[in-house]
Amino acid sequence: MNAWWIVPAWKTLHYVAIAVLVGVVGLVDLRIFGVAKGLPLRPLQRLMPWAVMAFVVAALSGYALLRINPANSFGPPVNVAFAAKILFLVLIGLNDILYFATGLKRQVDGVGAGERTSASAKIVAGVSLALWAGVLYWSRMLTFLAGAI
Amino acid sequence: MQILQQWTEANAFLIWLRESSSIWAYPTVFFLHTIGLVFTAGASVIINMRLLGAAQELPIAPLARFFRSIWIGVWLTAISGVVMLASDLETKLGNRLFLYKMTLVVLAVVLTVVMRRRIEASSVTASTRALAALSLLCWLGAVAAGKFMAYF
Repeated sequence: MNAWWIVPAWKTLHYVAIAVLVGVVGLVDLRIFGVAKGLPLRPLQRLMPWAVMAFVVAALSGYALLRINPANSFGPPVNVAFAAKILFLVLIGLNDILYFATGLKRQVDGVGAGERTSASAKIVAGVSLALWAGVLYWSRMLTFLAGAI
Repeated sequence: MQILQQWTEANAFLIWLRESSSIWAYPTVFFLHTIGLVFTAGASVIINMRLLGAAQELPIAPLARFFRSIWIGVWLTAISGVVMLASDLETKLGNRLFLYKMTLVVLAVVLTVVMRRRIEASSVTASTRALAALSLLCWLGAVAAGKFMAYF
């Protein structure tokens, strides 16, 4: 368990999963904003299960890293960056629930090649991009803010 | 080389970046590097997987329009990377894994350039798939080299 390569190996897995996740989220959100308009949204949104799988891998590897070095996140005192990261992930969850529950996802599925999305879809996509950028920001600050108040 | 090293050691901005404990110094540049890299690698991985046969309903040619966003990610990563490299020239250049990482990243970016025209033309031949697989391996290797770098 204490082999030197365990931590960088988990980190590699964590990072690759995040890249796939952000790749799917980024491409879908950019298309909603009107980038690569030639793409119909339904097949693009079919990539969402990849993002879900990548999230599960990222969460599990993240949990493993947390178990290896709990003090970095839990302190005491609790790492501000860690708390903010979890908060942002919860907000992302709420934003996604909103996207599915309001029928917006189905509406966006109907946006074909060359067509524009609605303003509400653009707002949800913008919130999603900003929150994901925030998650990356707090993740990066995790080591720098450990032990700070 | 020595002149370059002397310059990076004397440059006020790089000294600040290296020595300041402010999270607006090194951590912020590191964040820009991360966000650029994660998007560049992630978007490339998705496009490569499509070329390898996943998500068949997704038309290929319009994917080429994402390349402008990907280039923004590449430049963000490259500029922040050069700044971090300059702030710590000796350690980084002395790390063999850093050189592996750079080789893999440069190769991945070259492959992206080569594949763009094929994507625009929707021409997915066996060689395109081989290039896509190679690109996936380059990104995976580059991330692994980056993560293992701190341990060498």
